[in-house]
Amino acid sequence: MNWTFFIQAMFCLSLIFGMVVPGFSGEPQDQLRETTDKVLSILADPDLKSPSKAKERRERIQKIVDERFDWEEMARRSLARHWSQRTPEEKREFVPLFKSLLERVYTDKVEGYSWNKISFESETIDGDYAVIRVNIFTAKDQAIHVDYRLLKKGKLWFVYDFSVEGVGLVNNYRTQFNEIIAKSSFQELIKRLKAKSAQN
Amino acid sequence: MIRGEKMKKFNIELAVGLFVLAGILCLGYLSIKLGRMEILGGKGYEVYALFSNSGGVKEGSNIVIAGVEVGQVKRVYLENYQARIVFSLNPDVKIQEDAIASIKTKGLVGEKFVEITPGGSDKFISPGGKIRETQPSVDLEELISKLVFEKI
Repeated sequence: MNWTFFIQAMFCLSLIFGMVVPGFSGEPQDQLRETTDKVLSILADPDLKSPSKAKERRERIQKIVDERFDWEEMARRSLARHWSQRTPEEKREFVPLFKSLLERVYTDKVEGYSWNKISFESETIDGDYAVIRVNIFTAKDQAIHVDYRLLKKGKLWFVYDFSVEGVGLVNNYRTQFNEIIAKSSFQELIKRLKAKSAQN
Repeated sequence: MIRGEKMKKFNIELAVGLFVLAGILCLGYLSIKLGRMEILGGKGYEVYALFSNSGGVKEGSNIVIAGVEVGQVKRVYLENYQARIVFSLNPDVKIQEDAIASIKTKGLVGEKFVEITPGGSDKFISPGGKIRETQPSVDLEELISKLVFEKI
């Protein structure tokens, strides 16, 4: 079997499919739009604006975000090489801690901004992976570029990474976690994450 | 007697010729080594990645993992208004499927290079494959201007 020919043939095929798919799809973008629309409608809801409703509002946003974000995939990618060395119990302990860390960081951001609108710039689908570029406009009409990376599981697309102005979430935590684990241990990382969530 | 002299002359000419040839070969070797050229594709393997902003990475720019050089940028060109960068990696370096390639700057204004943060997947990218996860060069100027305008 001539391997170079085979590889070239596969490459051509993947090119053809890569070109065709965005034409009739838009599935990941539709699903992501559904999520952002829901979040925006909660943020805009006047009934939920009062401080006494802040907790309810936060919980409702978290629930919507949970449906679209694959926290385990994010945690797995952030731990990278260290993930496979963990026992199932350690993984089960780590994922919720990681999730609460992200939620603490990002719900503040989400609630703090007065978002005007979100415009979907482009969508690239490559097999089970998709990248969606989005511009989020603040009240001062400043555009913030956000790239969402989604992975298809069954019929649904889940976000496993995103980057704000080109700075990626997984890459950031991958570097930080790797440093902490290399310097001390995984237990130290868990300890720090717990301390962070206790601050709340 | 005459015949012997002719032989001697011939030997000297042969020796000079060999020296010149050796000199040329050395020069060729030097220029290939110094220019980091590769004959017949070299010994590395190639993978590629798409970036929304190459930030000025050039042919020959370094590719590092944990600060250690593992290859060089082989080609940079435009594809569908994105930068397609072809990497030539050392054959003993394996890149996981979920590794992230990001474009970094040495210091604040130094030269650009590509950093790969290894992933945790047990699948590796095969020669000719694609590094899916990329991070473009961060435009400091743009970030600062955003910060400035947000403040006003």
